[in-house]
Amino acid sequence: MTTENNFVIEVDHLTVSYHARPALLDVSINIESDQLVGVIGPNGAGKSTFIKAILGFVKPDVGVVKINGKSAQKAKGEVAYVPQRGAVDWDFPITVEEVALMGRYQQIPWYTSPAARDREAAFEALKMVRMEDFAKRQIGELSGGQQQRVFMGRALAQGSDILLLDEPFAGVDAATERAILEVLERAKQAGKTLVVVHHDLSTAAEYFDKLILIKQRLYAYGPPRLVLREDLLSKVYEGRLRIFSDVLAKEES
Amino acid sequence: MYDLFIAPLTETYFQKALIGGSIVALVAGVVGCLVVLRRMAFLGDALSHAMIAGVAGGYLVMKMLFGLEAHAPGMLLGSLIAAVTTVALISFVARISRVKEDTAIGIMYTGIFALGVVAVSIFRHYIHIDLMHFIMGDILGVADSDLWVSAFTAALVLSVLILFFRHFQIATFDPIMAASIGLPVLFLDYVLTICVSLVVVSAVSMVGVILVVGLLITPAASAYLLSDRLDKMMWLAALFGVTSVIGGLYLCVWLDSAGGGAIMLFCTLQFLVVLLVAPKYGVLARWQRMHNLIPQQQVEDILTTILRYGKPTPMEVIVQYVEQDKGLKKALESMIDDGLLTQAAESFSLTEAGDKEAQKVLKAHRLWEAYLESIGTPKEELHPTAHHLEHISDPNTVDYLDEKLGKPVRDPHGQTIR
Repeated sequence: MTTENNFVIEVDHLTVSYHARPALLDVSINIESDQLVGVIGPNGAGKSTFIKAILGFVKPDVGVVKINGKSAQKAKGEVAYVPQRGAVDWDFPITVEEVALMGRYQQIPWYTSPAARDREAAFEALKMVRMEDFAKRQIGELSGGQQQRVFMGRALAQGSDILLLDEPFAGVDAATERAILEVLERAKQAGKTLVVVHHDLSTAAEYFDKLILIKQRLYAYGPPRLVLREDLLSKVYEGRLRIFSDVLAKEES
Repeated sequence: MYDLFIAPLTETYFQKALIGGSIVALVAGVVGCLVVLRRMAFLGDALSHAMIAGVAGGYLVMKMLFGLEAHAPGMLLGSLIAAVTTVALISFVARISRVKEDTAIGIMYTGIFALGVVAVSIFRHYIHIDLMHFIMGDILGVADSDLWVSAFTAALVLSVLILFFRHFQIATFDPIMAASIGLPVLFLDYVLTICVSLVVVSAVSMVGVILVVGLLITPAASAYLLSDRLDKMMWLAALFGVTSVIGGLYLCVWLDSAGGGAIMLFCTLQFLVVLLVAPKYGVLARWQRMHNLIPQQQVEDILTTILRYGKPTPMEVIVQYVEQDKGLKKALESMIDDGLLTQAAESFSLTEAGDKEAQKVLKAHRLWEAYLESIGTPKEELHPTAHHLEHISDPNTVDYLDEKLGKPVRDPHGQTIR
């Protein structure tokens, strides 16, 4: 276990390729605990490969990913994953409390049913995301922000210290975005490390403690003011930088 | 009554059909839930069609090598192999060529089915398979051995599904999370495919190749319309499967029709009834919801009409100004319930909340008029066009118009905007 340092995610010289094209190239990064970390980069920059690597789904060509000091492929369940809203079948016959209970499935042996203790833990997690009043609802009946919170609840019920969120702010309105952010902040205060894929550069500085700027290789990792620099962004986003000029201006002021 | 309901029950063939059919339909319903939720209904179809090649192959191999006639386990194994081969071929073709999956499915299962048909006719002197029996099924001629096979299959499949219910639930709902907590997602897929194959194989002898997919998905789809939990859906699907068999068998005896056909007909009718009356996801419920929905436009028209009228407004005036007078009474009632209006005698007045809403719409209307004038809309079109546009009254739009027009005080008709 990691005793001498407090890095919860350690990525060391990671290269992943598909058909001889690198999705990630020589990425090394150490992520400290208790932080809200945003992952930014253009489409096709390897953000989802990065997530898969942390979940232990991809076999690296070179390099290692360690979660809490263990190889990612062995550290099953130590990273809780919150899927993109578009990836969920909202017509699935499942209620809010059942989704939260899924967070406990890893702890329940296959030969028994969920115990009262598991149901309580799931309910506690729903309380943390303020969704306890919707426990009996089918998930498709909720609003976009509520749906996101239910899956946050499931991740919290898993009890993992690391939460991985794939574009939680995609397709929600501003008020919902703030509500989700509040849940993320509370999770952080409860000692979680959150790694969030994010596509909106204009809010990145405001939302996250640290940013990871990625496009095949790692361009920067650190506090937003050090990452959202014009020279870096122009390299990563190439011609599309003009859109972000006001972001940079805000950073400079 | 006795003749209709009790007499058939005393016949052995009917009892066997009832028992065998119920067992198969029950387990088909339960497995079918996962098939429906994973959108792999095609799998049942592909499997059943591939079976004939497998049965012919199994029969032939056992006869040639061991001299065994119609060896049931051999044919079962052959069916499973053919089924798995078909599935593998489908995904292979879809993956390596530009042919999409639905086409690949159509090609493969008809191809393998045809192979089976040709094999059965070429080797008709060695193997004795009744093609008609295969295609239509023969539930009224269920043999004891068929009963045992289906009972065994059902017990096996149900045990797997009950024991690993949570695993299948999560692997179906969220395979990424399932994999992230260390579940063997791919292995579970294989297990499920084998379960489906077993069920299909044991059901074909009863309802035939063509109808077996219906037995798999129709009860599950009926249950899907009625449940918000997977376990409940499975219970209901099992129940619907069994009722289909019972209802279908009586139908078959009364009408003196083909057994498999009668069962699937009953099953489909059952689905249609559920589709119609399901309390939450049914057609009637949907229609009712649409019907009860009062268009925002109508509400806003009523509000502004009363605001412009300036005093308690009688029904006749409202009818004149509101475009859609359909369901007007209902709209007025619901607006009273929502605290937007009050009714005294035959006239309606705005409450404080109603007045606020109305002012908002009126402001939007006047801003839109000012905007329309500024872009050169003819005077006589100002009001009718703005009347449509006023329903776009969200704060962003209103603020934008206000800014753009330089915060005008009066609209083109000289009325105050604020």
